[in-house]
Order: sequence, then C-alpha cells, then structure tokens
Amino acid sequence: MTIGGGHGDSEVLTVMEPPSQRNTETPSFQNATVPVDSSGRATVFRPFSLSSPHSRAFHLAWLSLFSCFFSTFSIPPLIPVISSDLGLSASAVSAAGTASFAGSIFSRLAMGPLCDLIGPRTSSAILSLLTAPAILSTALVSSPTSFVLVRFFVGFSLANFVANQYWMSSMFSGNVVGLANGVSAGWANVGAGVSQLLMPILYTTIAEFLPRDVSWRVSFVFPAVFQVITAVLVLLYGQDTPDSNRKASNRNKDRTPVEEEHSSFVRILLDGLGDYRAWILALLYGYSFGVELTTDNMIAGYFYERFGVNLEAAGTIAASFAISNVASRPAGGMVSDVLGKRYGMRGRLWGLWIVQSVAGLLCLLLGRVNSLWGSIAVMWVFSVFVQAASGLIFGVVPFVSKRSLGVVAGMTGSGGTVGAVVTQVLLFSGDNVRKQRSISLMGLMTFVASLSVTLIYFPRWGGIFCGPSSSSASDDCSQRLLGDEEEDDDKVVISGRLRPVC
Amino acid sequence: MAVQTFLFASLIIFSSIESNHGATEVSLFTNLENSLEVTAKPTRVGVVWEAGKDIVRITWMLKSSAKVNDDAAFKTVEVKLCYAPISQVDRPWRKTHNELSRDRSCPHKIVSKPYDKIPQSLNWTVDRETPTGTYFIRAYGTDVNGYEVAYGQSSDAEKTTNLFSVEGISGRHTSLDIASICFSVFSFGSLLVFLVKEKRKAKLQQRK
Repeated sequence: MTIGGGHGDSEVLTVMEPPSQRNTETPSFQNATVPVDSSGRATVFRPFSLSSPHSRAFHLAWLSLFSCFFSTFSIPPLIPVISSDLGLSASAVSAAGTASFAGSIFSRLAMGPLCDLIGPRTSSAILSLLTAPAILSTALVSSPTSFVLVRFFVGFSLANFVANQYWMSSMFSGNVVGLANGVSAGWANVGAGVSQLLMPILYTTIAEFLPRDVSWRVSFVFPAVFQVITAVLVLLYGQDTPDSNRKASNRNKDRTPVEEEHSSFVRILLDGLGDYRAWILALLYGYSFGVELTTDNMIAGYFYERFGVNLEAAGTIAASFAISNVASRPAGGMVSDVLGKRYGMRGRLWGLWIVQSVAGLLCLLLGRVNSLWGSIAVMWVFSVFVQAASGLIFGVVPFVSKRSLGVVAGMTGSGGTVGAVVTQVLLFSGDNVRKQRSISLMGLMTFVASLSVTLIYFPRWGGIFCGPSSSSASDDCSQRLLGDEEEDDDKVVISGRLRPVC
Repeated sequence: MAVQTFLFASLIIFSSIESNHGATEVSLFTNLENSLEVTAKPTRVGVVWEAGKDIVRITWMLKSSAKVNDDAAFKTVEVKLCYAPISQVDRPWRKTHNELSRDRSCPHKIVSKPYDKIPQSLNWTVDRETPTGTYFIRAYGTDVNGYEVAYGQSSDAEKTTNLFSVEGISGRHTSLDIASICFSVFSFGSLLVFLVKEKRKAKLQQRK
C-alpha cells in the first residue's frame, strides 16, 4: 500500500500546467520509448540512454550543473599562484571563498521562482551564459577586491542546481524522482573534485609555453568555454516538460489580464515561502550540503596540518571526498525512492533522519580520531552518509508543493549554501581555529539539525511520528496552502487507499 | 601527483631545496653567526624596482669584525631574496620560522657561489617572476654538507632598514583582454539570439 510512490500509472501528482498552456494536440506519449505516467514523466530511470526527452534532459541537466561546479571550484586549486601574483593576503583568500558561496545564496533563491515562471531549460541556460564571462574575467583580475568580486559572481552559477532539480522533478515521476535528482546532482557535484585535479594539470601544461603569470589567466578559458557549450546544448536539445517546452508565459497576456499572471506568480512565491516544510528542508540541506561544502574547503588543510601529509596528498584526499558524490548522492536518492515505494513519504522521512543523524555522528567522530588512516576511513564513510543525506532531502522536496516547486527547491538549495557560509564563519574562520574541535562541533550541529525532520508533516502522507489525516476534506491549514489543484489530485492519488492515522 | 607538487611548491620550491639536503640535523636561524656583510645597491635609486627589468649590484664578504677562522667552514654562499615583515603580514605561507628547513621567508634564490675570501659581487636582474612585495637580501654561508652556518643580510636585525619594493609583472595582456571581451559578447549575444528565436517560434505557434 503506497502513496508517495508506487508503480507508474496514475498514482502520481500531475504536473501543474495552467489551462492556457495546454496544447490542443494530444500529447504524444504513445511515442515515448520509456514507460511514462499520465503526465508523461518517465517512471523508470535509465541514465545510459539518449532516446527519450527524459534522459536527454537528464544528461543536459547534470552536464550543465557539472560545468558550473567546475567553474566555481576551478579557482581554489590555482590560488597559490594567483595569490602570489596578486599579493593576496590570507584574509582576502578566505573572504573570496565565503563570497563564492554568498553569491549563490541569492541566485538560488531567485532561480526558484524563475523556473516556475519560464522553465528550467531557459533559466539554466541564461544563468550559464551570463556567468561564463564571470569565470573568464578571472583572467583579468589584478587586485584583491576584483578577485573577491569575481568569486562572488562566479558563485552565482551554482543556482543552476535549482534548475537541475526542478527539471528532473518535471521529467521523472514520483517513484524515481529521488534517484533522478540524486544522480544528476551527485554527478554534477563531482565537477568540484574533477576541477581540483584538472586545473593544476591545465595550468602546468600551459606554463610550458607561456610565462607563469599569463598561464594561470589563460587556464580559465577552459571552464568558461565548457560552460557556454553546455548552455548552448541545453537550449538546442533540451525541453522543459516531456511533451514540449514551457510556453512563454506572456502568451497569457492575450487571454488573461496581466495582473492575474502577476498575482499568480506572487502567489507561487508566497506559497513557497509560507510553507514551513520548505524552511525545515532548507535547514536540513544547510547541514548536509552545507557541511559537505565546508568540508571540501577545509579538509585538505586539516590533513596537511594535523597529520603532516604533503600538500598533493592532502589535495587528493580532498578531491576523493568530493568525487565520492558520484555514487553516494545517487544512493541517497535511490534509498529515498525505495523507502517511498514501501512505506510512502514516512519512509522517505525516516530514511532522511537516520542517514543525516549518522552523518552527524560520523563527523563528530572524525574530529576525535587520532590516526591518519583512521581519519581517512571515517572521512570516507562520512562522505557517503552526508552526500546521501543530500540526495534524500531532494527525494522529499518534489512533494512539498507542486505549484511552487521552484520556490521550494530554491529555498532548500539556498539553505545549503547559507549553511556552508554559517558553518565556515562560525567554526573555521579566524586565527585560533582548532580544527578538530570545530569538526566535532559541526557533526554535533548536524545531528541536532536533523532532529527537525520530525517536524515535517504532510497531511496526505503523514510525518515521522504520525500518519496522514483521515479525512480528505479536512480544513487543515497546510492542505489549503497546497492549493486547489492538490485537492483534485487527492481524488486521483488516494482512490480509496487511505492509510490509518497514528 | 607530480603536477600538484609542482603547483604547490612554486612558492616554497627554493626553501625546499635546502630541506632536501638530508636533513637529519636541524639548523636553527638563531644558531647562525652574522659574519657576512651584504650590500645591495640598485642602479635606479629611490624607485620601486620592476621585476624582470631593474638591476641590483649585490656584494657580500666576510665582516671585518669577524674572527680569523670564522669562514673556515664556508663552502658556498647562497644569496636569497627574502620577504620583509610587511610582506609577511596575513600571509602564513611566507612565515619566518626559526627552523631553517621550515622557514618560508626566503623562497627566491638569487645565486649560489663557492665561497671566496675576497669580496664577491653580482649584477642581478630582478627575476621576472618575483611577486610584488617588499624585500631584503640575505646570504647564507653553507658548509660542505649544505647546512647553513652563517648569514648576512642587507637589512638590520629587525628587518626595518634598507628594504626595497619590487613591482611584479602583471600577466594581463591586451590580447587576453580583447579575447575576454569578444567571448563575453558572444555569450550574451547567443543568449539574445536564442531568446528572440524562441519568442518568434512561440508567436508563430500562437497564430496557428
């Protein structure tokens, strides 16, 4: 008996499309090469094919986000050269690091409503094309201020994460959305690790032919070009929804007054911002992805200072932490889907709580282990759990609100980077940082934050401790918040299979 | 990875040369005798030196106040460019360390010459890759095994006098600037083209 999951046909939430945007032609689902549900979203996840618009969307989404992560994290490996050329001080370097995440806080928040408005394909392409010059302008910096500014603007590109998750949630149906979200975000996160390995190679190769101070500047051509290529591919081959692209919303102007369009956008925004579950998920994501980003930044230095490994070994350890995303985050998404299939939304929430708490405990342990190989082993297990937690969170996000999906995804994604900034500033900045204690504190904070999962409650599917409310005509406030469309779905989804209340 | 070694050692590569000399013994800076006299005279006085262009005349010799056999152990003299305290502020990768193998304050090697009792000098062009900063010059007298036994520097003990500033070369070139501008124009332009095309397609579909 499943609700939040279930075999493909019609038990899933329909994609929200205002009536004016529906075509008069029948959707060509019959021609789909993968099994789809009633709104055309794929019910199986086949990452290694290109035949259907779903898998094409998947590859375009993860590739374009990969290029954004690659660009953002292409600067750190070259910082020793850049800082010596520009005369950067340590505080300028760390300010630039914080700025790169701060930039993404705002852009992720803005990306949410934008996806709701013009669709993920156009939004992500716009962002990639607008931030590609920013990464290239790293080649033009000549002062600490401009360095910080460049990192701030390049950080904007991380908002593509929201478009990525939104796109996957539009293309893949509820029973595989966790896995699709997890794989596309996980493979994209690997861009951060690959960048740390590839950029130094690129730099030293170019330095064979050009003087040192020119070579590092020229190196940034590569991430910029890569980002533009992915953006162009997205525009050429991507589509927003399984049947077609999101029609330009100004078409509505012909049929409905402009005010209604505006107010419905404002409603989408307010519905998202007013949903308490989005805020909780934002907090949780801040303590899974935020912790992951913070660890990315400081783990190489930790191994270098504490255990005296040499710099390239420390860098490789740090890269391995990021690269484990290729499997951990997808695993989290898959676990979410499996639990959703067997136990519904409650299963997803329980899975999230357990995995994130374990991640917190492992982080606590990491700060206390005294041997090098013990620390590396704990770090690897910690990386699996913290990245899986991120995947599990985005196994829940698509179900919070169908109409305000973008806003909710934006808030959650933004919460991730807020968490990174807060954790970094609180625990890892300043002169007298004792990294071991900070790492353990970070683990403790993660554990405590994950307790907030218990507060999440879906009236239709239940929460951690309580089952769903028994009447579908309840005047529960949160049900009203979900909007009228959800009420219609109720009848389709539930179809007499109400689960008992606690 | 060899390439990561190259990258991260680019700042400390010259100091790591010393630590490769089979460091079982720990040389401390405080154990060194200040028996060398080092002077640095630029060809252009009173201006900031330009990396790759300005020439400095560096001379070093045994101090007249040194005892007779102080230089018995010297085999080679290594002359280095060192960061003045002002260039070390907030930059832990340039920190001065008493243990010479861990000292990062003198990463730029100028020359290494066999020791001669007569005063030696050198016309040194400031290295092209010298970063912007304030410096002084130090010479280490090293023994047969490569360990420092004495030193001398062009500045005083507190490293406050006789400092000179170097202006590093900026890698910015007009060609790079132009290429970046063209790229940005292409990026924005292709975005506009796509948006216009999409709008046109939408209008066409609407008319159908």
